[in-house]
Amino acid sequence: MKDSKLRQAAIYITVILVIAILLFPIYWMVVTALSPVHQLRSFPPSFWPESPQWDVFSTLLANQPFGLWLKNTVTIAIATMILALSVSIFAAYALSRYRLRGGTTIGLFILTSKMLPATLLVIPFFAIFRSMGMVGSLWSVVITQATLIVPFCTWMLKGYFDTIPEELEHAALVDGCSPLGTIWRIVLPVAAPGLAATALYAFVISWSDFLFSRTFLQTSESKWTLNMGIAAMKGEFVTDWNVIMAASLMASLPILLVFLVLERFLVGGLASGAEK
Amino acid sequence: MIDFSAPKNRKTFGYLLLAPAVILMAAIIVYPILLSVDVSLQDVRIARIGEDAKPRTLDNYRWLFGSHEFWRAGWVTAKMVFFVGGTALVIGLATAMLVNQRFKGRAAARLFVALPWAVPEVVATVVWAWMLDSSFGVINWGLLQVGLIDQPIQFASDANAAFFAVCFVMIWKGYPLMSIMLLAGLQSIPEEQYQAAKVDGAGPFQRFWYVTIPNLMPVIGVTLVMTTLWVFRDFAIIHVLTEGGPLGATTSLSIMTYEQSFSFFRMGQGAAVGVVTLIICAFISRALVGRFANSPH
Repeated sequence: MKDSKLRQAAIYITVILVIAILLFPIYWMVVTALSPVHQLRSFPPSFWPESPQWDVFSTLLANQPFGLWLKNTVTIAIATMILALSVSIFAAYALSRYRLRGGTTIGLFILTSKMLPATLLVIPFFAIFRSMGMVGSLWSVVITQATLIVPFCTWMLKGYFDTIPEELEHAALVDGCSPLGTIWRIVLPVAAPGLAATALYAFVISWSDFLFSRTFLQTSESKWTLNMGIAAMKGEFVTDWNVIMAASLMASLPILLVFLVLERFLVGGLASGAEK
Repeated sequence: MIDFSAPKNRKTFGYLLLAPAVILMAAIIVYPILLSVDVSLQDVRIARIGEDAKPRTLDNYRWLFGSHEFWRAGWVTAKMVFFVGGTALVIGLATAMLVNQRFKGRAAARLFVALPWAVPEVVATVVWAWMLDSSFGVINWGLLQVGLIDQPIQFASDANAAFFAVCFVMIWKGYPLMSIMLLAGLQSIPEEQYQAAKVDGAGPFQRFWYVTIPNLMPVIGVTLVMTTLWVFRDFAIIHVLTEGGPLGATTSLSIMTYEQSFSFFRMGQGAAVGVVTLIICAFISRALVGRFANSPH
C-alpha cells in the first residue's frame, strides 16, 4: 500500500515536470505578451509579468491589420473545411460500404499525397493559378489545401463509418429512404463525433498553413493571413517581442481552445487515420 | 433517373460517391506532378500554362547533380531527419508510456502532452525564435546560468547553432503526433503478454524490451515514415526561423526547391530539385513501411 502511494507520488512529480518542460514555450508566449517592454530586456528574465500589460493587444490592433488577417484566415479555414468534408464524406462512405475495384488505388493516392514535398506542388499550382488569374485569391489557398486534407479526412471518416453497423442503413432503405437520404439521416448523425474530429482536423491544418498562402497571397496585402502577418512582424520589429507574442497568442488561442474541447475525438481519429 | 436502391445499381452509386474525390485528387495531385516533371525538363523562369513549351532537356538535372548546393541540401535534410526523427521518437515514446500509467487526471495529462500539435508552425517558430534570441532569450540565459556556456550562443549566425535551433522547433512540433500514435499502439498490447512475462520472471526493462518494443514495431515504423516525410516537406519552420541560413546550414531540399523557384525564379531547376526529392521520399517510405510491416509480432 505504501509502495503504491510512493509510486503515485513519483508519477505525479514526473508528469508535472515533463508537462512543465514541454509546454514552457506556450507559457513563455503568454508571459512575454503581457510583460512591459523594459522587462523583456532584463537579465535575469522575469518568469511572471509583475503588472500585466493588457494594452499590448490595443497596440497590436492599432499597428497591424490584425482583424483583416484574422478574417482571411477564418475564411480560408472554413471554406477548406467545408470543401474537404463534403468530398470526403461521400468518398469515405463509398470506401467503407462498397467493395469497389480501384479501392487500393485510392489508398495509394493517400500515400502519394503524404509523400509529396509540398514545395514541389507549389510550382505547378503557381503556374496554373497565374494562367487563371487566381494568384492573390483566397480560393487558390483553399483549393491547394484540399490536396493535403481530403485524403486524410477520407481515411479518418472511413474508420468511423466502419464502426457503424450496416443494419441501421438496411432498415432505413427498407423503409423507403433513398441511399443519399440514408447517408444524410442515418449515417452522418451516428458518425457525428467522427465528423467533428475530421472537421476539426481540416480546420487546424488549414489555419496553420503558411507555404501556400505565402506563395499565392504575398503580393496582395489585403489577403494576408495571420501566419503571414506574424512571420512578417518577426522580420520587421525585432524589438517588439511582446506585440509579436500577443499576435501569436491570439492566432493560436482559437485552435488551442478547440483542441482542448474536442481532443478526445481528434486523438482517436488521428491515431486511426494515420495508421492506414 | 436511376433507382439506386436496386441491387444492380449499387456499384454505380458507389462509384458516383467516389467520383468527386477522385476528380479532385487527379486535378490537384496527379496533374500538378506531371506538370512539375514537365517544367523540370525545360529552361523555365516563371512557369505559366499555355505558353509555348521550351525544348525538353536534361540540363536542370545535370546542373543539379553537379552543384555543391544540392548535395549540401541533401546532407542537411538527412541530418535533420536523423536527429529530429530519433529525438521525437524517444520523447514521443517516453511521454506516451508516462501518460499510459494509471493515475488520476491522466486524461488531462494526455491533453497537455499533445498540445504543441495544435500550435501553428509559424507561431511555434516565432516563439522559439524569441526564446533563442541571442541577447535576451530565456534559453541563453538558462544555459549561462547553469554554466554550460560562458557567452550567449548566436543562433542566427552560428551554422551549428542554427541547425539545432531548427531541429528543436521541429522536435517540439513533431513529438506530439508520435506520442498520440504510440499511445494508441501501447493500448492495443494485450495485458496478458505482460502478465506472462512477469510470471516468467521478466523485470520492467525486459518487459519493455521483449513485449512493448516488438508490439510497437509497426506503429514505430509508420510514425518514423510520417516524421521523415514531414521533415522533408517542412517549409514554414525553416523559412521563418533561418530562411535556410546561415550560409546554407539549414537549407533543406524543400527550402532549396522553394528558393530556386520563388526567390531566384528558376522554376525549371526548382522543379528538378522537387522531383528528385519526391523520388527519394517514395523510396524511403517504401523501404521503411516494408521493413516494419515484416517485423515479428
